[in-house]
Amino acid sequence: MNGKEEAKKRTQLLKRLREEHKDTVARTQALLKEQNAIRKQICQVMRDAPKTVPEVAEATGLPASQVLWHVTAMKKYNLVVETGMCGEYYLYRRVEETKI
Amino acid sequence: MASDKLRVDALVVGGGIAGMQSALDLADQGYQVALVEKEASIGGKMIALSKVFPTLDCCSCITTPKMSAVAHHRNIHLLTYCEVQSIRENGGGFVAQVLKKPRYVNEDLCTGCRQCEYACPIDLPDPFDRGYGAHRAIRVPFSTAVPQIAVLDIENCLLCGKCEQVCPVSAVDFTQTPQQLEIEAGSIVLATGYEVTPRDAKKEYGGGKLPNVIDALFMERLLAPTGPYGHVLRPGDGKEPESIAYVQCAGSRDQTLGVPYCSRVCCMYAIKQAMLISGALPLADVTIYYMDIRTFGKGYEQFYQNAKAMGIEFVKGKVARITEDENQNPIVRVELIDEGSRVVERTHDLVVLSVGMLPRYNPQPLYGVPVADDGFVEVPSPNISPCVTDRPGIFVTGTAAGPMDIVDSIMTAGAAASEAAAYLRARKSASSVSTTTGKERELVYA
Amino acid sequence: MPETSEIRRQKDSQSNPQGEEIRIGVYTCHCGGNISDVVRCEKVAKVLSEMPNVVVSRTHMAMCSDAGQAMVEEDIRERGVNRVVIGACAPSLHEQTFRRTVARAGLNPYLYYHVCLREQDSWVSGGDCEGATEKAIRLMAAGIAKARHLKALDPIRLDAKQRALVIGGGVAGLRSAWDIARRGIQVTLIEKSPFLGGRMAQLETTFPAGETARELLHDLIERVLAHPNVTVHTRAELVGVRGYVGDFHVQIRRQSRGVSDDFAQAQAEAAIAACPVEVPDEFNYGLTTRKAIYRAYPGCTPATPAIDWENCTLCGKCLQVNGQGIDLENKPETFEINVGAVVVATGFRPYEPRQGEYGYGEFPEVVTLPQLIRLLALAGESEGLEWNGHPVRNIAMIHCVGSRQIEGIHEPQPDGQVNDYCSRVCCTATLHLANELRGRFPNVNVFDVYQDIRTYGRGHEDYYTQASANMVRFLRFHAEEPPEVVPAPDGDSCPVLVKIKDYLTWGEEIEVPVDLVVLAVGIMPRPIDDLIKMLKISPGTDRFLLEVHPKLRPVETAVPGIVLAGTAQGPMNIQESCAAASAAAAKVAVLLGQGLVELEPFVARVDPERCRGSGQCVEVCCYEDAISLQTFSVNGREVQRAVVTPANCTGCGACVSACPNRAIDVQGWTLEQYEAMVDAIAADLPASEVGV
Repeated sequence: MNGKEEAKKRTQLLKRLREEHKDTVARTQALLKEQNAIRKQICQVMRDAPKTVPEVAEATGLPASQVLWHVTAMKKYNLVVETGMCGEYYLYRRVEETKI
Repeated sequence: MASDKLRVDALVVGGGIAGMQSALDLADQGYQVALVEKEASIGGKMIALSKVFPTLDCCSCITTPKMSAVAHHRNIHLLTYCEVQSIRENGGGFVAQVLKKPRYVNEDLCTGCRQCEYACPIDLPDPFDRGYGAHRAIRVPFSTAVPQIAVLDIENCLLCGKCEQVCPVSAVDFTQTPQQLEIEAGSIVLATGYEVTPRDAKKEYGGGKLPNVIDALFMERLLAPTGPYGHVLRPGDGKEPESIAYVQCAGSRDQTLGVPYCSRVCCMYAIKQAMLISGALPLADVTIYYMDIRTFGKGYEQFYQNAKAMGIEFVKGKVARITEDENQNPIVRVELIDEGSRVVERTHDLVVLSVGMLPRYNPQPLYGVPVADDGFVEVPSPNISPCVTDRPGIFVTGTAAGPMDIVDSIMTAGAAASEAAAYLRARKSASSVSTTTGKERELVYA
Repeated sequence: MPETSEIRRQKDSQSNPQGEEIRIGVYTCHCGGNISDVVRCEKVAKVLSEMPNVVVSRTHMAMCSDAGQAMVEEDIRERGVNRVVIGACAPSLHEQTFRRTVARAGLNPYLYYHVCLREQDSWVSGGDCEGATEKAIRLMAAGIAKARHLKALDPIRLDAKQRALVIGGGVAGLRSAWDIARRGIQVTLIEKSPFLGGRMAQLETTFPAGETARELLHDLIERVLAHPNVTVHTRAELVGVRGYVGDFHVQIRRQSRGVSDDFAQAQAEAAIAACPVEVPDEFNYGLTTRKAIYRAYPGCTPATPAIDWENCTLCGKCLQVNGQGIDLENKPETFEINVGAVVVATGFRPYEPRQGEYGYGEFPEVVTLPQLIRLLALAGESEGLEWNGHPVRNIAMIHCVGSRQIEGIHEPQPDGQVNDYCSRVCCTATLHLANELRGRFPNVNVFDVYQDIRTYGRGHEDYYTQASANMVRFLRFHAEEPPEVVPAPDGDSCPVLVKIKDYLTWGEEIEVPVDLVVLAVGIMPRPIDDLIKMLKISPGTDRFLLEVHPKLRPVETAVPGIVLAGTAQGPMNIQESCAAASAAAAKVAVLLGQGLVELEPFVARVDPERCRGSGQCVEVCCYEDAISLQTFSVNGREVQRAVVTPANCTGCGACVSACPNRAIDVQGWTLEQYEAMVDAIAADLPASEVGV
């Protein structure tokens, strides 16, 4: 089997799977859209200086718990890093190459 | 890849600490063991803990070597991401139909490099971190997972194919389908574990509603080096808490929840966590609201006394309700029993519910093993034979037979292995009449 | 007589293949923060990477995890690492783990060295990061230095005797014996007293299922006795032990029973009746008396009575009934058996309150919980409860007597220590009995005086709930203000008062007049100092026998082949004792089931070319048959040379220091290795690292 055929087969397979999992894919896509929108806002706030979770929450209007969840996720996958503390809160900085 | 048919001496169901220990104790005696775990990694509840009482060993130090030993043992066939679907008897033994769920990742090729995980665009709440951390739709379950193989969650997948593109060894495989596997086993050890009380079980405590009321399993994650925040922070806003309260018996010894029994571990884990918090946040105050402190195991009372000496505050009191102030600080309304049952309200930064242990799995339909009123596996002769179930050849270990801590789970794991080994031997002798006297056989089955 | 060539061959097998390049892999474990919170692991790894022979130096969150181990394996396979040094927790935890890792990758497991960076460094450095990091570097450098001199070793393999010795005929010992026997291994069970059953025989109904203790026990005893693999000796004690795992030689001393097994039942009753001696009956905790020829209780096993040699006056009255089956001369016999493993199931004794503790020994109205159990059994079906000739209407039960003691508040035991542990079983046992009292004698009021109610076990909480429903009155004291038992003023209806500051009612001082005070005494280990010494096992700070690790090796002692079962290890109820006993049996089956045991090769080894036969090593050796002088022929001349029997050698090293010719070394711990380690630990750190 040559590469072309394989690629074609793969595309077909994914297409079939997408059809089978139509609902879950749609749900996940909506989730991703929301996630990306929130991430964009968070990165915007952190653009110039490191920020704490309440600072981001205040600037974006998002609940602090939600901001923390996203910052935690971004930290896990190296999109933000922690840079010390401000009072009782940790500061987070965007990693330069982060593109959302 | 495992073959479609497997013949072993013992089938161990559940890859938590009790199941792993039972499997090791049987395999070390030379028995062939199949260990079936429904999750993608073994390790059970224990692997998510921070440190363990009363020795304060880091949990990984105890669990991961056992996980590794299970994975490498030549007498153990490890089957993760598999579920037993039916059991039938066959000439005194059992035949289990096992469903092997598709990982959508080729187990033989995957190296656990996690490039797929980094490529996946969607972040989902990670149950390993009680939902407070994130993982991707394709991921290695956690850093110390065994096996170190990625698993794709098709229900939350975008089917974008990015993982497939980045995988250096072309292990991502969307063609996988569920596989059937048949395991023939002479005996079965049930090590199906427990579930914790849902956070929102007791409405008065606001769990699941108030952001800064968490359960103790999440505190384990906060204290673990691999925890989601890397620090002890409250999930409402990421604040480093200065005042933390524990509410004991939040889900145990509570008739209104239908859980009249004591969960055995909550006193000790709360005290342990309080000690660890004192280490992580030296300025924080920790208060434990309790009814009775039950530090009954070896070295436990001494552990409790040490905690008191460290300045952890123990308050005998019944917590009636938890609300919050405008800064989402939880307010604990408590009846102080030592002060003539005076009712006070105290504000803390973070409240931890010492949730209890609930039965997780009812083996009656599949295994014909009845459960008692408390929902845990019934043990007909609890004193003399604590691991023997109502059905010959099926044994139980760990928290499947009621709440217990790790030490006791490990003890019963050895006991269940002993029972299974004796059963297997008697069965073998019974089929080859030469070695056993009739008397022995009768007694063994008695 | 062996020739010189023999000596030379021994020497050769010891030396290393020449010209092998030493390639060391060094790993510094974070131990999930246990080490890395204090020690700068990355820095340590960097410094080590520059040391001679080190080809890789890495760190990992948890070296013991599968991923950590895989890293080591890969370095051995792919990068030619042939010596491994890991700095992690104490070797007692994971040295074995990593030896297996190294072996899996095809390397000799003894080409591995374990450095302790946790217990010896991070945990004891008080947060001094600089100091701890420097110490870690030095410890690791010493490990690397040793690794350069490591040689491949083989474990000592020995046949394992397919027999185990179980010490103790209580429920744990019986349960353990039965499990071992069922696994196809022979068992010899020895019991010190003339009867089987231990403490459990003295109980009546048990929690949580309400079964009758002696029925359960007899069922188990019957199964044990009927099993063809089991031999039971009552009145037998361990008096000597030699050997090692797989091959212990144990000496057992057995006293005569004084009564033969075929002694007829009817005659036994007559003989017991004829005995004029009356001594306090330990079975009923002194509440009744028994004779000097006696049975522990009706229906006990063995059913044959025994003579109590300590109290028998040899008057011969029993002989007059029927002298045929009775022999009034105690002829203890000592015999030796060969076993592969030993299960220690020596059980517990109830705490004996000191004179005056809560009025114990001062007022006849103060009894212990075990005594109350016997008292209720003796009371039979009677309508009312009586004690000391008086009807009992009010009972106070005081918890935590001899348990949860606090230094400065409670008087220490004779060894100077207080019992600071919880005895685990007393709360449920007390409430179980409180309910029985309320059920059988509804007119009796029960006051339960406690600190914390610890009805933790499955089904135990029900006893607490029932007790509340049964109108048992609870009074709660604080540990630092224990209740007092005082005589009641003259004319009071009850003989004693229990004074308590009750924290369920505002810390009010309350006086409860009662007819009987029951002390819920705790569990203490039996005094078995001789046995501990003989077996070379250790008690913990609570005096109970110590396991290696409560989670990793919960039933094993530090002596290979000696395992623990039941309350010798710590307070447990029947259920927990049985689980522990079965777990111990599983461990015995693991040890002996394969027919072979392996011992560490860290034993003395003689260099026959250097040995001059001075014999000083033989003189200093404390172990039987571990080292001896043997005659060899060298160039036709007879010479004496030291020879080690590896199985008997513990590797203590006494002989090494005694040898004037440096002809002896302990394999794996040679003088050469020590010297290299000392040099490395004392060496100057690279200039850039001073003041890390």
